[in-house]
Amino acid sequence: MEQEKKRFFENEQTRRDFLKFSGKSVGGAIVSLSVLNLIGCAPEEEASAPPVETAVAFALPQGMLVADKAKCTGCQRCESICNALHDGKMQPYTARVRVAENYNYGPDGPKINWANADGNFGNKMMNPETCKQCREPFCGNACPVDAISADPAWNNARVVDTEKCVGCGVCAEACPWHMPRLDPETGKSSKCVSCGACATYCPTDALKVIPWEDIKTAMRRYKRNFA
Amino acid sequence: MSNYGWTGKILRVNLSNESVSIDDTSKYKEYIGGMGIGYKIMADEVPVGTKAYDPENKLVFAAGPLTGAGIPMSSRTNITGLSPTNPSNLVADSHMGGNFAAMMKFAGYDAIIVEGKASSPVWLNIQDDEVTLESANNVWGTGIYNTTAVINSIAGKEASVAAIGQAGENMVNLSVIMNGTSHSAGGHGGVMGSKNLKAIAIKGTGSVEMAGTGKEWEELNKYMLEELVGANNNHVVPSTPQPWAEYHNERSRWTAREDLYWGAAEPPIETGICAAGDINRIGYRTDKAIFDLGPLAEKYTVRMGGCQSCPIRCHSQIKMPQLKEYGVSEYAENTCVGYSGPNGVMIKGSKDQFEEGDARILPRVLGSQLTDDYGVWCNYGMIGDDFKYAYNNGILKEVLPADEYNSIPWDLLEAGDPAFLVDFYRRIALKEGEFSKLGMGTYWVAKEWNYGDDFWDGAEDGTGSKIWSRLGFPRHHSSETAGQVGATLNCMFNRDAQCHTHVNLTGSGLPIEVQKKVIADVYAIGSEDALDAPNDYTPANEAKAKFAKWSIIRNVLHDSLTLCNWMWPMTASPLKERNYIGDTAIEAKFMNLVTGEDYTEEELDFAAERIFQLHRALTTMQMGSKNMREDHDDICGWVFDKDPDVEAFTAGTNKLDRDDMKLAMTMFYKEMGWDEETGIPTQATLDKFGLNDIADKMSSMGLLA
Repeated sequence: MEQEKKRFFENEQTRRDFLKFSGKSVGGAIVSLSVLNLIGCAPEEEASAPPVETAVAFALPQGMLVADKAKCTGCQRCESICNALHDGKMQPYTARVRVAENYNYGPDGPKINWANADGNFGNKMMNPETCKQCREPFCGNACPVDAISADPAWNNARVVDTEKCVGCGVCAEACPWHMPRLDPETGKSSKCVSCGACATYCPTDALKVIPWEDIKTAMRRYKRNFA
Repeated sequence: MSNYGWTGKILRVNLSNESVSIDDTSKYKEYIGGMGIGYKIMADEVPVGTKAYDPENKLVFAAGPLTGAGIPMSSRTNITGLSPTNPSNLVADSHMGGNFAAMMKFAGYDAIIVEGKASSPVWLNIQDDEVTLESANNVWGTGIYNTTAVINSIAGKEASVAAIGQAGENMVNLSVIMNGTSHSAGGHGGVMGSKNLKAIAIKGTGSVEMAGTGKEWEELNKYMLEELVGANNNHVVPSTPQPWAEYHNERSRWTAREDLYWGAAEPPIETGICAAGDINRIGYRTDKAIFDLGPLAEKYTVRMGGCQSCPIRCHSQIKMPQLKEYGVSEYAENTCVGYSGPNGVMIKGSKDQFEEGDARILPRVLGSQLTDDYGVWCNYGMIGDDFKYAYNNGILKEVLPADEYNSIPWDLLEAGDPAFLVDFYRRIALKEGEFSKLGMGTYWVAKEWNYGDDFWDGAEDGTGSKIWSRLGFPRHHSSETAGQVGATLNCMFNRDAQCHTHVNLTGSGLPIEVQKKVIADVYAIGSEDALDAPNDYTPANEAKAKFAKWSIIRNVLHDSLTLCNWMWPMTASPLKERNYIGDTAIEAKFMNLVTGEDYTEEELDFAAERIFQLHRALTTMQMGSKNMREDHDDICGWVFDKDPDVEAFTAGTNKLDRDDMKLAMTMFYKEMGWDEETGIPTQATLDKFGLNDIADKMSSMGLLA
């Protein structure tokens, strides 16, 4: 696993260098366009730098959580350990690995073919959903108060700073999979930090944290691992 | 009372006037939750003499403080209400696993009380604190699967739905309330139907709070999963020799081994070696498909399923395309009696239909789908025996009109073709004709069709029966399980005993000498004399009475916390280094972690005993009995008359002796603080548990000695 990680980061040297140049550590928080401007790194002045559209400064995460649909039995213990360690209360609605919501009928809910579609009432297939820790995270890019950043404390996973979070819910809307979730009791957003506790305790070994790769690549390689 | 563990709220729904209100859970704290809340409400609010289908009967769906808290095996819903299956409509509880109980907690409720009767079919839509009654006209008359799909399309895909099928609507006594595709609570479906309540849907986005930290939660769970938990029914040794295990036992449900697969998974998944302590393989330990359905089922196994929070996956999920030939889905799911109940209806046996060996699978998986969709209950397998007696004794020919009799496909039954079940369950669920009286339950159908004494007491050779009580319920881990222990506790409820405390140990797979050491370590028992070797019994003794009592008390505790007594308590451990001794205090440890209270295991057992004392007192009042030994605790004759050529207490038989069983019962009554002759709780005992109001009621009815 270490080997794979290294290989990956070698390929990304250009990006790392750029981030260092911009005055932020590799694991640094968001460097917004305005900050880039402040340090004289605006696109029109820095021709050698990558175009700004691809230079959103989220350092690359090291790991991402994936779930094996063939092995998942829908016990939801992953949701519990996630809630226990990250919330200190049990609330699957905010759990960052999501099994219960798709338990009955899969991600799309009951359709006319429910008896043969994914879910307990159909073909029995579970659809655990996990955060992809996107290269350019929709959640982080959408957050109006820069509350979501690549957090070195969590191996650069995209993490919500609840101090900054204003509970607007834009992150949850922006995410193509709606993985960030507003806790209705605290009004704060939260999302997966790829800590891997759910994988540590999965009773059927269906979850694991793999070396990060872009979701497009990962979905090809781990076909059955994504809802 | 803190709101740790408990949500603090009970939802009360009156269907007659379409009103909802909130009760405070704290007044039920002494009764813990689940079954305790259920029985207390029944005692306080439902007058003695009420019948099961009266609008005055109530249904209490209740969970306990550990449900929703992610404690292993904790998503159990306890449903309490008067039961139509026994002659006096005595109070009983039914249970279901699945996701419902946890979701109820997340929506903010410890319990839901359903009272009254709706004027037309409705379903209850609970979205956190928004509660509405919706018309059920669009699902009335349809099965549980369709009902759930339609309701989920309205209430949200993630809602957990507890529904009844046609059987419940038609007030078939033997009917279930079910959530998911296979988690059914037997016996109260008709009560829900009598209230015109088709389903309860719950979607909860809130939390169950806990007093302890997440780290403490993690540590205690880890300890349990690494050191205590076994396979299904907490069997703690594997079924085949394994490199990690000192013992093995072919009857163990720890079936995982190399080269055993979930064969219909894509790709197939090997169960493999699942050593004790390996948390990431606990869910593979039990392959319930091959255990329930035989080796051919391996290739049809998609995976195992089960309940929220439970690492033990005891429901097998099957994909068998041949099922489509019978007009049902090719996907089926169930476990244990959910499979064997329908199989028991094939009273002339089953023959292979498509390939060699499928006779063991087809009636079980087809039957499970039919019963789960119609919502028919099997009375723990008795419906097959009731049918068998009537058919084999020519009773059906006498009681059924000729047209009806001739319309039944007896040729399929005689040929061992499981297609017979399609016809059988339609008649039961839709209450078609005289034949459907089989759905009334054993007591009622035996009365209607005038079954002989041999039905109850067995044929002259004592074989062929499993009916336990003339109140109409069968044995459920009775005299064949730890002799007088199983026999005693089988007499204590108003339906089949749903107690697994004792059988989890006797079935653990450990050698008897190890089991004896394990049981002697239990604080409430303390003696190896509590347990005999299988089919090699000794006379009654005090330790057995204590074992019977503790078995019931823990069963009641689990149904109140609410935990699954099919797994709990953790009496034995799979670890040799623990000398296979589990930890019976871990319920208390979890209770304290979650609620912040400070219970010892003795204190929790005391609280559970209060619930059981209340159950006994309530049953006594409902029966108006002055002698519960005679009126309630009687055992059918075959238990004592089987194996006529050998005496009780000889090796090789599990027959019991009448006088000895009387003594066993007396010893048990003494342990319970009941009158040793009549088996009725004494004033002193009721006072000890703070049940003074109940004592007063009983006294005014002339039922206290």
